[in-house]
Amino acid sequence: MIRLRPPGLSSGESILALALAAEVAVFAAVAPQFFTVGNAFEVLRVSVELGLLAVALTPVIVSGGIDLSVGAMMGLAAVVFGAASRAWGLGLGAAAALALAVGTAGGAANAALVSRLGIPPLIVTLGSLSLFRGIAEGLTHAAVNYTNFPPSFLALGQGYLWGVIPAQLPIFAVVAAAYAILLHRSVIGRAVYAIGFSPAGARYAGIPVRRRLGALYLLSGFVASLAAIVYVAHMGQARSDAGTGYELDAITAVVLGGTSVFGGRGTLGGTLLGLLALSVLRNGLQLAALPSELAGVLTGTLLLVTIGLDRVRMTAPARSAAPAMEDVEVRNSQVAVLCAAVIAGSLIVAGTNLWLVRSLASSTSGARTLAAGAEPSPRDTPAPAGHRPVIAMMPKAKGDPYFISCRAGAEEAARDLNVELIWDGPTSLDAARQNELVENWITRKVDAIAVAVENRGGISSVLRKARTRGIKVLTWDADAEPDARDFFVNQATPEGIANTLTDEAARLLGGRGEFAIITGALSAANQNEWIANIRKRLAGKYPGLTLATIRPSDDDRDKAFAETQTILRVYPNVKLVMAISAPAVPGSAEAVRQANRAGDVNVIGLSLPNINKPYVHGGVVQAVILWNTRDLGYLTVLSAAKLVQQAFAAGATSLEAGRLGTIEVRGSEIVLGAPLLMNKTNIDRYDF
Amino acid sequence: MADRRTGSLLAALAAVCALLAIAAPGFFSRENLIDVLLGNVPVLIVALGATLVLLTGEIDISVGSVFAICGVVAGVTALAGAPMAITIVATCAAGALLGALNGALVAYAALPSIVVTLATMVALRDGLRWATQGAWVQDLPDSFQWFGLSQSSYPIVACGIAALLQAALAYGLRHVAAGRAVYATGSDPDAARLAGFDVAGVKAAVFTIAGALTGLAAIVNDVRFNQVPSNAGIGLEMKVIAAVVVGGTAIRGGRGTMTGTLLGVALLAIVGPALVFLGVSAYWERAIQGAIILAAVALDAWRLRRRQPGLSRAAVQPS
Amino acid sequence: MPAPVLLQADSITKSYAGVRALRGVSVDLRAGEVHALVGENGAGKSTLIKIMTGAVAPDAGTIEVAGQRVAHMDPHAARALGIAAIYQQPALFPHLTVAENIALTFESARVWRRIDWASRRRRARDLLASAGASIDPDRDVETLSMPEQQIVEIARAMGADARIVIMDEPTAALTDREVERLFGAIARLRERGAGVVYISHRLEEVFASADRVTVLRDGESLGTWPTASLDRARLIRLMVGRDLSTVFPKRDVAMGDVVLEVRGLSHRPSGVHDVTFGVRRGEILGLGGLVGSGRTELAEVLFGLRPADGGGIRVNGSDVRIASPADAIAHGIGYVPEDRRHHGVVLEMSIVANASLASLPAVARAGMIDHRAERSSASRYVSDLRIKAESVDAPVGSLSGGNQQKVALARWLATRPAVLILDEPTQGVDVGSKAEIHALMGSLAARGLAIVMISSDMPELLGMSDRIAVMRAGTIRSIVPRAEATQDLLLELALG
Repeated sequence: MIRLRPPGLSSGESILALALAAEVAVFAAVAPQFFTVGNAFEVLRVSVELGLLAVALTPVIVSGGIDLSVGAMMGLAAVVFGAASRAWGLGLGAAAALALAVGTAGGAANAALVSRLGIPPLIVTLGSLSLFRGIAEGLTHAAVNYTNFPPSFLALGQGYLWGVIPAQLPIFAVVAAAYAILLHRSVIGRAVYAIGFSPAGARYAGIPVRRRLGALYLLSGFVASLAAIVYVAHMGQARSDAGTGYELDAITAVVLGGTSVFGGRGTLGGTLLGLLALSVLRNGLQLAALPSELAGVLTGTLLLVTIGLDRVRMTAPARSAAPAMEDVEVRNSQVAVLCAAVIAGSLIVAGTNLWLVRSLASSTSGARTLAAGAEPSPRDTPAPAGHRPVIAMMPKAKGDPYFISCRAGAEEAARDLNVELIWDGPTSLDAARQNELVENWITRKVDAIAVAVENRGGISSVLRKARTRGIKVLTWDADAEPDARDFFVNQATPEGIANTLTDEAARLLGGRGEFAIITGALSAANQNEWIANIRKRLAGKYPGLTLATIRPSDDDRDKAFAETQTILRVYPNVKLVMAISAPAVPGSAEAVRQANRAGDVNVIGLSLPNINKPYVHGGVVQAVILWNTRDLGYLTVLSAAKLVQQAFAAGATSLEAGRLGTIEVRGSEIVLGAPLLMNKTNIDRYDF
Repeated sequence: MADRRTGSLLAALAAVCALLAIAAPGFFSRENLIDVLLGNVPVLIVALGATLVLLTGEIDISVGSVFAICGVVAGVTALAGAPMAITIVATCAAGALLGALNGALVAYAALPSIVVTLATMVALRDGLRWATQGAWVQDLPDSFQWFGLSQSSYPIVACGIAALLQAALAYGLRHVAAGRAVYATGSDPDAARLAGFDVAGVKAAVFTIAGALTGLAAIVNDVRFNQVPSNAGIGLEMKVIAAVVVGGTAIRGGRGTMTGTLLGVALLAIVGPALVFLGVSAYWERAIQGAIILAAVALDAWRLRRRQPGLSRAAVQPS
Repeated sequence: MPAPVLLQADSITKSYAGVRALRGVSVDLRAGEVHALVGENGAGKSTLIKIMTGAVAPDAGTIEVAGQRVAHMDPHAARALGIAAIYQQPALFPHLTVAENIALTFESARVWRRIDWASRRRRARDLLASAGASIDPDRDVETLSMPEQQIVEIARAMGADARIVIMDEPTAALTDREVERLFGAIARLRERGAGVVYISHRLEEVFASADRVTVLRDGESLGTWPTASLDRARLIRLMVGRDLSTVFPKRDVAMGDVVLEVRGLSHRPSGVHDVTFGVRRGEILGLGGLVGSGRTELAEVLFGLRPADGGGIRVNGSDVRIASPADAIAHGIGYVPEDRRHHGVVLEMSIVANASLASLPAVARAGMIDHRAERSSASRYVSDLRIKAESVDAPVGSLSGGNQQKVALARWLATRPAVLILDEPTQGVDVGSKAEIHALMGSLAARGLAIVMISSDMPELLGMSDRIAVMRAGTIRSIVPRAEATQDLLLELALG
């Protein structure tokens, strides 16, 4: 039932509050740094952008609609804001106004299609999701990354008020309060509920249904662009991929908070609870050093259990003509299915708990080692010998085979050197999640952090913070600002990679001809940097080589396959395909092979040996270029351990790196060596 | 009504084809058509299942995750040395099982399908990542690729499967009582219950079938290669729902045809490569596709409004 | 020799969440008879027929069909036993064709059976003809009018070869001529040896068609009587449990100035054209005519749901433009629509929220709702209109039809209207509430409100109206003063 002035929590909300309390209790027990004021504020900071979207979506969903385009609108507004302030010379205020205007205009477009033409909002916003993100990519060629925002602006996303409160929190509080008043106190909010229950009934009561619905979509566009500005301040960069996938997280928070997707029921308080339940879950899992994949599994389970229990407890939904009776009718089967779901969920939770207990046990055994070392020491001084240093290492994306092979080396080093390794990262490329994780590691007081940086501008300030807390910071794979870390483990420079690739292409083509590039996602920063360097190399050294086209693969083998097929037809003169994303190389190779163009068209690329061995041996792929990823992981952990143990420090020119021998150190860069060029003759020597 | 949409779709398809015929006749080469066809057979198979689900007034956004899991299941089964027939059955069974899980929660626990499948989408995707740690299934036996047939006979098999499914489902929906039960359920579940239909059974069945079809699509797709990636199918749900909706199936159920879905898949399948053939930059591709979806549905809604102006019941819509 | 018993319900008891809906009710239905089930709303009629059709299971009691005890009744089994139900709101599939809607009830339940469309069409055409209508079997049901849908329902029941046909207020949305056609169809059902359970609030219909009457009150059966042994007054007394002094309140109201004046009003897309009339303070103007003659459409034009495309509206002597319901409310026009459940109230919302929905600015300051003012206003209407509810926070969906209608009225009274348009104000409302609503209309008029009342209920139209305007084919053909109006005259004007 609609509660006009919620005196307490509804049944769904109290279930959720219980779940939240359980999360807090469990994590407080297993993750020592979880239950602190500082961590509480960090949880809130990382929830702001998502929270803004969830808050804006609440009345939309209460009205019986949905807005899938909010995440994409964040991308578009971020790009517009970045371009306006960094490229078009507008002041920050004017740029922000422009971004907000774009958001409002996008919202207005949704509003017009939904309320004027009466198209289901799911379809409209599914379309505008592509449109907004597409315009953002088109405007920037998906590559431009606006950075170097003034510190006064970045403070909005990274700074603190009175030393503790994240600076963006007041913005969120104001927006949430405004929405709470709008939804629960105002005449408009009442109309929204009426529309959600019964659009026709609302219309017959004289409510301007179209105008009210339109206003909600307009507002959600506006709030999405506001979230984009906060996001830019938080990350220190504006790129077309801002907010990717946020719409589903925001909807999850809203639905978790008890808002009915059929409309009419839901409160803003519920949404805030749902948001917290999501954020605390992620934060707690990271602080407890549990794999972040668990977050998805647990979120899904939590979602099903919460709304399932709510459903069972709701005795009279009064939606259909004879509510009470139908409810009685379906009760038995409902209970059965829900019991099954709850049992399945609790099995998962139980399994996790087992895991928790085990990780707890291992950390206490670590403590025992410390005690056996007979030299108890305060946590924040450099660890003496005998203490097992904790090294936290982050890939750009956990699922990527490239990083998985790095992990093998990292684990090898951790075993050899007897250090504790935490390996965690975003499940897919996500700069915001990287920041979140570093914050959590600082809270957890690890000894060293090593990050493969997705976003140089965004992560540097949080890495600096880690250094001021006495944590050793390394970057690997991709660097941050030099003053934000102690060392960069440099596997190969973008220039080096680009040159090796281009030289190999030129060698295979005999210095003349056309080639095509298959990249990862259009907005992938690494790939875009390589492409820029490839173009430079072409212009400088190989005037005879022409880059015919660049196509995206979105790191999907099947898409790389289809794109290559099309390229082979549209550009018959292309004699070489250069795939610069690990899954794309086998995709392109298979396309060339199936087109019977092997031998005629060469495939080279940046990838891993194992997934390419069949093609290299089959003569389809001429060369796979990569550094030894296993060694990269090994060297990173080794450097971190030596830094912590003070066996290695700034100023050194070389590093004794165990099985890797002596490694050169140039300034603050630890250099792994030149990229590997793997072909038929040597690829079998590598297994990753 | 479905006929009206079929007309506009055919017109749109004809326009794109005409443009291609003038500007890039190479598009119509036999090889290219086969490539486009094979690339979209899996999408079509998933879309056929999604059409069934949408017809009952429900939605399934977990197909991408199910697709990835089924691919891995196919790979692992083949790797274990199972004959191809067993592999196919196991893959479809895995899909059907996951579909049945969605279906049971929607039909018997009466939870909203968008929430259920949102939950399973996230949970299954991350569960798979956890289980595989991103590793691909490799070293598959030779009998895996092309179903153990040859590259030249595979297109016939794949297109045959798709055509058979398309025809069977189109016929079944129109001319078999079970198909009419799907429409009746989506048109008005309460009336369907009163008329003696097992509404929950119908819903559970369409989710299960959709799951099985997703499994079939995964294996039809993956046998084109000799290894199976563990991150397949990301964004597949959006692609499929867009195709089905552009094909004229009502998001609230009760209306839509398999022919419409076929045309919807065809239109979206052609647009992608067509833009490459026409030399459009990849950076604008997504924007153009979004604009095409919006234009298609807006034009349709506008035409509908012009036909029945001022009706009070047509003015507003739930969800 | 009495006709064989088709259906015997014995000692049926049913509770919902602890509340008794039926207590030991027994009813039997014989071949070839029409058996009326009467009682106020909430008396248990709906629950009883839901048990007969297997939509819900009884807590205790048995059902026998043709002498065989039915152990487990569900909609499937009911269909197989030849039981068909026709509800007030047709339970048809809007997206499916007429032919398919008819076919779905009598075709076999085998899932993998092939559909023969040609024979479906043929069969539908035959059945529609025997139900007395010609509707294209290939039309989608959503394009049909309400009476047409009702006919399709009847054709469905005939097609199912139902021996037991249950009709729950089938005439609620029908005009007299359509009712006659329905009675024709019922007669044909009887001739075929079927029994009909007939539920209606229109007692004239009960007396015109039923052989026997069973009266339910508060979940208990008071007994079954041959219709011939009862008169109207006795039947009402049985249903209500008390005497209703007068059916229609006497009113002596001095009429004031013209409040609403309409000249040549048109809305061509819905067929309303050249409507001219006026209503005075204190007057009740009845609006009669067949369903489909444009009465509801005219009301929706006046209320701004269908903005007029010709003619003018004057309120209190000045020209106004009404392009939306908000405009209508601003000019003091209120509208209680015909479809109470979907349009008149929002079932899921509380009495408080429903009562204030059209007059939120009156209980709000600077756009913020003053919850205390809102509650006190709602409480006042609850006591003034004698709305029976546990609390003002109860969802309107939990109230009886009559009380829902009073909430709908309260909503519009709260806007302090000058003109109130009531569309079928007592449709589907039980006898007791009906009298209360009539009394309320009388006192509102006495306080100076101008009322336009659309009604298909002839006694109501004749009893309540000061003047009666009769519509035909989209316009008002004639306005008859109360003194001159008779049932025959109105029917003649309506038919043209």
